[in-house]
Amino acid sequence: MIKAENLYFSYTGAAPYILGGVNLELKDGEYVSVVGDNGSGKSTLIRLILKLLKPTSGRIETTAGRIGYVPQRSDAAHSGFPITVREMLDSYRHLLKLKNRDVIDDSLRQVGLSDYSGALMGTLSGGQSQKVMIARALMGDPELLVLDEPSTGVDVHSQKEIYSIIKKLNKEKGMTIVSVEHNLVAAISNSTLIYHLDVGHGHICTPAQFAAEFTGIGLDGREE
Amino acid sequence: MLSYGFMQNAFLVSIFIAVLAPSIGIFLVLRRYSMIGDTLSHASLAGITISLACNQNPVLGAFVFTSISGALIEFLRGYFKKNTDLILSIVLALSVGTAITIISSGRLHTNADAFLFGSVLTVTVSDTVLVMILSVISVLALIALYHQLVYIAYDEEAARIAGVRVRLLNYIFSVLVASAVSVTIRIVGVLVISSMIALPVAAALQLEKGFKTTLVFSVVFSVVDIMLGLVLSYYLGVAPGGFTALVSVAVLIVVILAKKCVRIKATSKV
Repeated sequence: MIKAENLYFSYTGAAPYILGGVNLELKDGEYVSVVGDNGSGKSTLIRLILKLLKPTSGRIETTAGRIGYVPQRSDAAHSGFPITVREMLDSYRHLLKLKNRDVIDDSLRQVGLSDYSGALMGTLSGGQSQKVMIARALMGDPELLVLDEPSTGVDVHSQKEIYSIIKKLNKEKGMTIVSVEHNLVAAISNSTLIYHLDVGHGHICTPAQFAAEFTGIGLDGREE
Repeated sequence: MLSYGFMQNAFLVSIFIAVLAPSIGIFLVLRRYSMIGDTLSHASLAGITISLACNQNPVLGAFVFTSISGALIEFLRGYFKKNTDLILSIVLALSVGTAITIISSGRLHTNADAFLFGSVLTVTVSDTVLVMILSVISVLALIALYHQLVYIAYDEEAARIAGVRVRLLNYIFSVLVASAVSVTIRIVGVLVISSMIALPVAAALQLEKGFKTTLVFSVVFSVVDIMLGLVLSYYLGVAPGGFTALVSVAVLIVVILAKKCVRIKATSKV
């Protein structure tokens, strides 16, 4: 699904690199959490997957026909913007050139927010707003879902619901998931693989290996 | 009042302004680009003075120069990524500098004051036709690009991922802003154009509704502002531009107070 070879990136085009020689191969149907410290290049990596950035050298390719993206939650960016959930999703449907209007209701149903289509985006709670972003990402049946810290700024109950939706999409629909995570417990508990980035270099491991090696957190999410 | 030909032209032009200015303005306000509207309105003065010096139609001159200035702002955005406020200063310096130099050279064959403060007397038939053409083309472009523009304003990154050519759309939008500015200058004047672009939208935002409803109310408030401004300024014998700006502020205050009253009533019932 995603293949990166000798991937380098810096905003200036020269050293120091944010990503310095990343090699990565992810197969279809995986649920990969990308973890690492602040500044390790997690968000840069997903922006390269989304083609929002171009590699300085090396290459990164994806075979996914359509990619759904759930951005990091930002209250400041959208507060006061006068748009209802339906208007926001309908405009996005037009951008994706989807003729069937039912995709809006279908995607809202998948995240359990069918009753909120008339609500203003600015009046939603953090959890609801994040679920709407997942609903948006699901329009057009993407093969790959990319999420940037889906649980940031979201209460614990909503976090559980959000991860339950993501896991369901991965297990039942076979959707490939790449999720940048600060929440290590969520990363260990939910994903099938973990990609650990450290100062621009990364390696892939299983959640069990990651738990044992780096955090001391067991697979049940409890600290050992 | 309507028996005068110039007032008929002024009313006709005002209706087009009332529709176009807030329709463009809502995107400027929501992208927090209100100051770009202000900068481009000042840039239009350079276009006016150049065209007056060359005996050309000032509305057309304003449209061309403002379009170029809008495109320049977009172009400079790539060079001044960390100091975007500098871009407006550069464009202001270029356009206001051009206008003042031409005005002070004494090469203008007419008085530029009418364009600074707005005037109903100077709206010619050819201006009216040009305003109508620019407005119709701009509104059609807005309808065609509606969803892309909404998304660029709401979530530019998501728009890029969905395949929207954001840079190209920004250039097209610059031309639309230029169109709104040049349509507005005759009646409202350069100095207060931004009031027609931003204030009806500010009033409509107080209603806290969805995008389409906010857009419709922006146009409604805009019609109220400009019609009241035009009629009252005629009877008071003052320039329509300044008075329309005052009416816009008054309408905004009334809407804010009405909203507060409704909230107080609602909480007292609970």
